[in-house]
Amino acid sequence: MSGPGWWTGTRLVSGRAIVSGWSSRSWKVVTGLMLMAGLASIIVPRMLSDQTPSYTLATVGQPPAAVQAQLEQVARVGQFEVSFLPAADEQAAIEAVRDGKATIALVGSGAGAVLHVASGTGATFPTLVAQAVLADSTAEALRESGLSPEQIATIQSTPLPAQVPVGRVADEGRAGVGFASGLVLYLALILTGTSIGTAVATEKSTRISEVLLAVLRPTQLLVGTVLGVGVLGLIQVAALAVPAAVGVLSGGGLDVPAESTGDIALAVVWFVLGMVLYAFVFAALASLVEKVTEVGSVTTPVNIVIVGSYLLAVTVTGTSPNSWAAVAGSLFPLSAPLVMPVRWASGLVPTWQLGLSMLLTAGAAVLLALLASRIYARGITRTGRRVRLREALSD
Amino acid sequence: MPRVVLRAIGLSHRFGERRALAGVDLVVRPGVLTGLLGPNGAGKTTLMRALLGVIEPDDGQILWQERPVTFADRQRWGYMPQDRGLYPTMPAGAQLTYMARLHGLGRVDAAARARELLDELGLADRWGERTEKLSGGMQQRLQLGAALVHSPDVVVLDEPFAGLDPVAVEDLSVSLRDRVRAGRTVVLSSHQLDLVQDLCEEIVMIDHGRTVLAGAVAQLRASSGRRQLRLGLGPGAPRDWLDRFPAVHLVADQVDAVRLDIPAEVDPLAVLDAARAAGPVTDFGLDLPTLSQLFLTAAERAAQPEVAP
Repeated sequence: MSGPGWWTGTRLVSGRAIVSGWSSRSWKVVTGLMLMAGLASIIVPRMLSDQTPSYTLATVGQPPAAVQAQLEQVARVGQFEVSFLPAADEQAAIEAVRDGKATIALVGSGAGAVLHVASGTGATFPTLVAQAVLADSTAEALRESGLSPEQIATIQSTPLPAQVPVGRVADEGRAGVGFASGLVLYLALILTGTSIGTAVATEKSTRISEVLLAVLRPTQLLVGTVLGVGVLGLIQVAALAVPAAVGVLSGGGLDVPAESTGDIALAVVWFVLGMVLYAFVFAALASLVEKVTEVGSVTTPVNIVIVGSYLLAVTVTGTSPNSWAAVAGSLFPLSAPLVMPVRWASGLVPTWQLGLSMLLTAGAAVLLALLASRIYARGITRTGRRVRLREALSD
Repeated sequence: MPRVVLRAIGLSHRFGERRALAGVDLVVRPGVLTGLLGPNGAGKTTLMRALLGVIEPDDGQILWQERPVTFADRQRWGYMPQDRGLYPTMPAGAQLTYMARLHGLGRVDAAARARELLDELGLADRWGERTEKLSGGMQQRLQLGAALVHSPDVVVLDEPFAGLDPVAVEDLSVSLRDRVRAGRTVVLSSHQLDLVQDLCEEIVMIDHGRTVLAGAVAQLRASSGRRQLRLGLGPGAPRDWLDRFPAVHLVADQVDAVRLDIPAEVDPLAVLDAARAAGPVTDFGLDLPTLSQLFLTAAERAAQPEVAP
């Protein structure tokens, strides 16, 4: 009886890693937490967006029709609710404000109108009521000067000047999605990388790797482990990102543009590139240790690079996406998987830079995977003490 | 079937500055239980890992059926490492099924083979039990099952008796003997030389990465030219009568017994008579030297510097 082919053996190794991880309590707990975080990212903005402000205007008798119509129109645009409370007299209207039943009491009309505003009310609603009263008075004056209602309506329907937000990025909402993608990528790389390191060190310390290497080639064991644990990491990322993406794409109380759909898809590509880049390095370094507890110390340099890249992404890149540091960080292969998605979401990156960055990262990933295979093949078979990186590379 | 199935010639290997193998030779005949013996650190595990292809030796040659061994040849061997080579949280049945699948069996055949082996090893009722929940002896049997799951041409076991209680040692010994009787080839390593003395038909002793003694156990012990006289004496019996035999060497001195190395020129009966004259002798017998004693002699000989002619 001979062993399986290269791919069959690799698939069996990755399948076992998936089943083992899937059934482990720690994986279930972490995945559950990430799913909850993902769901929270949809639910919380919706809950917050449901809390629309509401105001009540108390008037002596029925509110003036023009004031009521203007306030209701502004309320629809400004996303607040307005209601009206007709009072028997001036004193009753003011009393309604004092009792908290109304926000403002409008007493009098025209130039003699007075607004009794509940303390603690912001400036927005009183200003809007004042503008409505003023508009009503202006319309009255225009009517008295002989203008027809159509002419008055034309004068008063002059649109307000358009508002164009000017920021450091093209679209704040899109940039926010970019930041979120960066955070998810960072968590995914750290969690999955650590899981791969732990899996490799466990197999080595329990000598399971020796049994497997008697029937499999080191590359089969390495690729199978990386694939298996990588798939588990992808599921965790999906648990966090899919609900968040659904929330973003369905509006979910967030103000994001359509380009964010493409940005999220691009983030998935960057996750795969980042995983290929870092996963083999994590596995190779973990193959050098003798005990599972040593994985943390041996992978510290890689973790520092990932943390540094993330900090660069959320600080320099977020505020100055076209600064030299941001451009360099998004092109340098080791930091690109974390920096470029955030920078790209600024909407200020030329497409050729994105292509170059992906090309450089893919090339570096292939080179690192080859180097990691060499280190892994030597590290995994040396037991009794921690193997130095130089030893694994030299002979 | 060739007279030798597995042969290692002049294997050398270094781990950095440390030389683990220094030109070791090994011969394994088919259908024989061969013991690879030596103290801790002698190079046994490194040799086994080299045989299995887990490491590639710096120098030397490994032959399978008298031709250079290939990866495909090795896939038909079974290997049980010194430490547990099992997934602690994986159920026993799944463990064997997985190993069988790695050796090329289909899903259904692998499960059937796993059930058959668990039954054979007395673990039929442990199919769904996590490996870490099994006793040490059961884990050892399960590990043996993992090495046998693909009906290998040769089984290589690294320190299979380490950490086992006497009952588990006996169980495993019986299992191995049964397999050898059924025509299997088994190679096992051990640093407990006397433990495997009655189990192995042939041995290869290594020390400091070199072969110091090799051959059939019975032949090596008989041809050593040394005999040992075992005497059971009363508690506190004197030993001064031994002074009359300066060529006799005291090998072991216990409270109620001594073991004496008797050179060819000394009559063992004369020694027995002297002991009886000094006090009561409760038991006696003439033995061949143990493997430990043969090893010590061979290791000393190997360590002596060569004298230039």
